[in-house]
Amino acid sequence: MRLSGLEDVWREEAPRVLAALLRRSGDLGACEDAVQEALLAAAEQWPRDGVPDNPRGWLVRVASRRMIDRLRSENARVERELRDHSLTPGAAVAPGADEAAGNGRDDTLHLLLLCCHPALTPPSQVALTLRAVAGLSTAQVAAGFLVPETTMAQRISRAKATLERAGARFDAVPARELPARLHAVRHALYLMFNEGHYGGTDLGDTDLTREAVRLTERLHRALPDDDETTGLLALVLLTRARAAARLSPTGDLVPLAEQDRARWDRLAIRRGTTLVERVLPRGPVGPFQLQAAIAAVHAGAATWEETDWLQICALYRMLERQAPSPTVTLNLAIASGMAHGPRAGLQRLQPLLDDPAQRRNHRVLAAAAHLRELAGDVSGAVEAYRAAASLTQSLPEQRYLNTRLARLT
Amino acid sequence: MKFVILIHSNPQPWGHPTGDFNAELQAQSPEVRAQMNAEFEALLSELSERGELVTAEALGDPATSTIYRWDGGPITSDGPYAESKEHFAGYFLIDVADRSRAEEIARQFASPGDTVELRPVMWPGGEDV
Repeated sequence: MRLSGLEDVWREEAPRVLAALLRRSGDLGACEDAVQEALLAAAEQWPRDGVPDNPRGWLVRVASRRMIDRLRSENARVERELRDHSLTPGAAVAPGADEAAGNGRDDTLHLLLLCCHPALTPPSQVALTLRAVAGLSTAQVAAGFLVPETTMAQRISRAKATLERAGARFDAVPARELPARLHAVRHALYLMFNEGHYGGTDLGDTDLTREAVRLTERLHRALPDDDETTGLLALVLLTRARAAARLSPTGDLVPLAEQDRARWDRLAIRRGTTLVERVLPRGPVGPFQLQAAIAAVHAGAATWEETDWLQICALYRMLERQAPSPTVTLNLAIASGMAHGPRAGLQRLQPLLDDPAQRRNHRVLAAAAHLRELAGDVSGAVEAYRAAASLTQSLPEQRYLNTRLARLT
Repeated sequence: MKFVILIHSNPQPWGHPTGDFNAELQAQSPEVRAQMNAEFEALLSELSERGELVTAEALGDPATSTIYRWDGGPITSDGPYAESKEHFAGYFLIDVADRSRAEEIARQFASPGDTVELRPVMWPGGEDV
């Protein structure tokens, strides 16, 4: 069997196998190690003997055995912990093939809730989710973040240790905690998506946007009536639909206003738009649904100029009320500039320009430069382009801003 | 977010860690030096354990460098690059959650006789809005 086929089976089954083990022992670290060892065994045996009829049952059986072996060989400290957790090695024996992995829906949800536990920082939540839920190897996760494997391995093992110290368990989250915990999961998935989409896609070996979309799809399948999750799925689909158009053949960044919209992924746009339209009328409308709605309005416009800017302004104003942030104010200023002229946009932007905390924010300065250029204030635009270009850490953005600057000087 | 912590120093003779060879740190009492060493070791272990340390290198004596300039073609000469008091001595590449964490780390690299510079690393991505 080809290795890529093996990987597909593995990626599909790994989280379920992990969940099956976790249901018997709360120790994510030990379960994860056992699942990895089962994969190694599969990588050796399946190409030789063929893929078993029930790959999940096979993996659960092998992983359970590895866990028992390990438990038996470990010291008295672990024995004590086992008693505390009322886990005996016998209890970790694999279930029959017919009950191999339980309910797949709960597996994904509970695994995501565990990996996005509030004791972890968001970057650690993302790393652990990629490892334990998406089934990526540590090397693949490391490639996604352009760091060495040893650095990522440390980050992941620290995250597991933090979960253990926090007493995080793989079981039902109390109903009153669920909204906040789900919020953390969605936030981590969004962070994962952004890291891939905005992070320089041609460098890493790992497509983080694909993983984020896959995981969000799974979360959506587990919680079809959670409208913010639907909103997040729509948002990532609509944003990724633009991926092919956002970089020029030479790798330069193409702003939304100048993108070749024929290269947008129409299928993804249709799906994302349908999802937004389904949840918006239901209310209450959360931040991800609003951002998805904004992305859908952009996706529905034939050109930048023909965009329904009044509607985009209205959506940003709703977003500003719900989840105020400098980024939302900034985007509202840009949309106002398009809807009501550059002076209106600059007026909206002024509080950010006056805010000492935002003075080194290159995006605020870039927006000011653009609006001043539209308003005919060339010297003001030059000053802001120069400041924005020097402050950004994005190479393509810096190249773009320097090009705009050169055009005016 | 990735940052590089650049160490500029002038150890005499050239050596690493630079503090062992520069007069300002050697002028401190043995207790103070021992404590500073211990704190620095603890900082490095912490960075490594947290998965924040990407890589680090110590550089050779600036006298061993070769300088290339352009004057209608490459002109080669022996180093050091500049007659300044301090030279680029080594660097640490870190990957942290945000700038404030980077600043918190870089501050702890400060040591008598060294100048420590924190610079963000440019990244290949960007936003299209």
